[in-house]
Amino acid sequence: MVDFALTDEQRSLQELARKFARTEMLPQAAACDKAGRFPEEIYRKGFELGLMNLNVPTEYGGSGLSVFDQCLIVEELARACGGMTTSIIANCLALEPILLGGTEEQRRRLLPPFCASYHLASFCLTEPGGGSDAGGLQTRATKDGDGYVVDGEKCFITNGPHASLYTVFATVDPTLRHRGITAFAIPRDSEGVVPGKDEEKMGHRASSTGTIRFEKVRVPADQRLGPEGEGFGLAMRTLDHTRTPIGALATGIAQAAIDYAAAYALKRHSFGKPIAEHQAIQLKLANMAQSIEAARLLTWRAASLIDGGQRGTLESSIAKCFASDAAMRVADEAVQIFGGYGYMRDYPVEKLLRDAKLTQIYEGANEIQRLVIARELLTRYA
Amino acid sequence: MSGGALVLGEVRGGRLARASAEAVTVARRLVGPAGSGTVTGLVLAGAPAAAASELARTGVDRVLAVSDPTFDAFHASRTAAVAAAVATERSAAHVVVGGTAAGRELVGRLAARWDAAAVTGVVDLVPDGDRGFRAVRTVFSGRAFEEVRLEGPRAVWGTHPLAFAAPPPGPEAPVEARAISGGPSPVPGTAVGFEAASNASGPDLAEATVVVSGGRGLRAPENFHLVEELAGALGGAVGASRAVTDAGWRPTSYQVGQTGRTVTPQLYVAVGISGAIQHLVGMVGSRTIVAINSDPNAPIFKVADYGVVGDLFQIVPALTAEVRKVRGA
Amino acid sequence: MEILVLVKAVPDPEARLRPNAAGTAPDLDGVKWVLAGYDESAVEQALLLREAVPDSHVRALAVGPAPRTEEVLRAALALGCDGATWVEPPADLAIDPLLAARALAAAGRRSPFQLVLVGKQAMDDEAGLVGPAVAEHLAVPDFGPVVDLRWDAAGGRFRFARAVEGGLERLEAPPPIVVALQQAWNDPRTAKLQNVLRSRRAPIEKVPWPEVAAALGDRRARSVRTAFRLPPPRSGAKMIEYSTPEEAAQKLVRALREEARTFP
Repeated sequence: MVDFALTDEQRSLQELARKFARTEMLPQAAACDKAGRFPEEIYRKGFELGLMNLNVPTEYGGSGLSVFDQCLIVEELARACGGMTTSIIANCLALEPILLGGTEEQRRRLLPPFCASYHLASFCLTEPGGGSDAGGLQTRATKDGDGYVVDGEKCFITNGPHASLYTVFATVDPTLRHRGITAFAIPRDSEGVVPGKDEEKMGHRASSTGTIRFEKVRVPADQRLGPEGEGFGLAMRTLDHTRTPIGALATGIAQAAIDYAAAYALKRHSFGKPIAEHQAIQLKLANMAQSIEAARLLTWRAASLIDGGQRGTLESSIAKCFASDAAMRVADEAVQIFGGYGYMRDYPVEKLLRDAKLTQIYEGANEIQRLVIARELLTRYA
Repeated sequence: MSGGALVLGEVRGGRLARASAEAVTVARRLVGPAGSGTVTGLVLAGAPAAAASELARTGVDRVLAVSDPTFDAFHASRTAAVAAAVATERSAAHVVVGGTAAGRELVGRLAARWDAAAVTGVVDLVPDGDRGFRAVRTVFSGRAFEEVRLEGPRAVWGTHPLAFAAPPPGPEAPVEARAISGGPSPVPGTAVGFEAASNASGPDLAEATVVVSGGRGLRAPENFHLVEELAGALGGAVGASRAVTDAGWRPTSYQVGQTGRTVTPQLYVAVGISGAIQHLVGMVGSRTIVAINSDPNAPIFKVADYGVVGDLFQIVPALTAEVRKVRGA
Repeated sequence: MEILVLVKAVPDPEARLRPNAAGTAPDLDGVKWVLAGYDESAVEQALLLREAVPDSHVRALAVGPAPRTEEVLRAALALGCDGATWVEPPADLAIDPLLAARALAAAGRRSPFQLVLVGKQAMDDEAGLVGPAVAEHLAVPDFGPVVDLRWDAAGGRFRFARAVEGGLERLEAPPPIVVALQQAWNDPRTAKLQNVLRSRRAPIEKVPWPEVAAALGDRRARSVRTAFRLPPPRSGAKMIEYSTPEEAAQKLVRALREEARTFP
């Protein structure tokens, strides 16, 4: 018997996130979007409540939540603002390589400061030369005495300009491709770390995204996460854990879109009655509801498989890919239901469309997700 | 329910609180037409004479005046004990208490002491066949009304301020001085001071017939005088939105809204207040609402009766001048 | 110091409000029950006192049906209360505020306390009866509506102010007392995630019903709601058209005098 009911504990987590989203995030969402403002005061409050380092076990001071419970929280936050949510959960992504690849000594040294007070960390994989082709990254880690010198440039780094620690993927030998990639934890105050400017983005404008240059940065060996050459696998295992919450984030954006659209359809009149009474609108809303329900359930299933100890690569890719495509479709239909008003910045739905777009691109573009899905699928028939 | 009624006469600054006179109106309706039941007034104070005499002219049948200086500070436990004893002695079926801070506190204590049914915040009475009257009251921050029937032989009714008219002064009923057996009783707490609210020059928010509130649209605390001048011209009290009290422009005591005070004046003027639900629930019960705001889409216009879209820095001084002209002040 | 906070589950004040089909009560189908308003302020005040006075404990106390009453007690635990006590009446027993007060007093009497905190009124029925009635049953003084409550350790007294007409009446009183809190005095905290998780596992003490029933005797609820309705909807503001501020003022004053008849 499969039970879809949430426990009392899960419902209170959801409630906590919903309250924070509604009282702290939503009132600022439109203004931050317009101004492209990074609302650090909201992120600090989120940190105080325990919403920031959801995946870090309680023994290091984090919230220690299962992937499933993370998803419940992320969906509620994203209903208020996808961009803020991306910034709030960026620590989960950045700290996951330390959790998965770090030694116990490294975990005890690196994680507690992030749980004791408000600090941001950034996951640095993507480079100007390519995002999806992670195996071909160009940032070099050259052995130097008992440490390394890291040299190269990372781009589209969430919270990059504000972070105090970077988990960086660099290669000890580009000819080795995947097998040369090695992970490092590099503090921002290391000499040669140069955060670049905040990018002007289409959506997720309350989040901060920037380039980080590593100019011959000396990194002691005890900041290396896992063995040399195992960084690619570490990045992939990290993404296996964090991809599913992106499905939840996309579901939250879609849920916000249908919330606005349905309420508007009941209020707005045309041809003498509320547009919700026109079948053309009802069919749209019905399709939107189906997409959201499916996205949520795929996310929940992937999360529970991973929490049960499985790798869940296929399921998490399906969840992320489906939910982000669903968010795009649902936000698109929400704009359509709002008509001309939907295209206006004074109404909330065009932001959702812009925010939804990113979920198809980041944390593994949907094209890559489909390749992964196909590969995982075909191995079962080979 | 039938039988007599007891009205608590609250003394404030030596005079009878207006809310107590309003309570007499309710008591008279509860006991039925003249001759069918008596209304007794009870005044507890160090020097009760002036207030007792005022209460005696509101249409009560008699007033009992207890002179005891310890009652000059309000203590619900002692007032409830005396009121319950008097109500029992007079075989009263009803005790009516005016809608003041002290009155609100007294109703529950007295009902528990006297083992009676109770209702607070009564804004109207509706006939309930041979059962007498049902109480009408607002609930959910003024967002809804309910009617309540009180069962059993005894009931305590707390009125909402300004919901009932005070009776015009009439002939003075007999005033009887009473002593509490056993002399002054110990007091449970000591009053050590009083801080007049800084908006005390006008009427209190809760009792004002006109309230003028200012919001974020005033831009800076030094502009708040615009609101105060309009309130002064209208003889009203000054209120503020949460944005204003949160920003420290005015003390929290000014705040109208869900987390502040609920007001139900005859006229409410919202100046530069957009109308967050938080604020609306504190003032939607007002009889007439006027909103002055530069944003034509501000939610305040959805609950207002009259709206002026424009620059409040021009509109409000013009309005203050017009009000002064019309009211001849 | 032992502090009792009386709390109550109320329908989410932000949720839509509508009467049931019979027009006798609010439609509570699917409503979310929350710890709200004055009660949140009361819990916050209790926690502030606990932080200020060494060796203090805060216990939340509520009377009401499952599951909502248990939920608000857990919400109080999540905010930081040390314990929670629940009086669950039989499902067929209607409870009005005065009956609730007798039940709460019966539960409160079971252990010593120096302070009982309660919201000035609940956000739904706004009766404001419970605090004073509990105080009468417990035979202790009560004060309300109170702001700025502090403990004077040297004097062994509480110092506080009542928000009364025209200002603040400063008072002091020795324990035990019942204090009904004015809202908006403090800024209630939000429960942290770890505390929310802990609160789910925390035990809730249940008072055996027969103990409470003995205090109620044969009393039943004496206030019965016979009707519940919304005020007539406002149709939206009549907008004053004008070309000068003076014209706007004249038109508005005329409308208030001649149409609305609410010009003072």
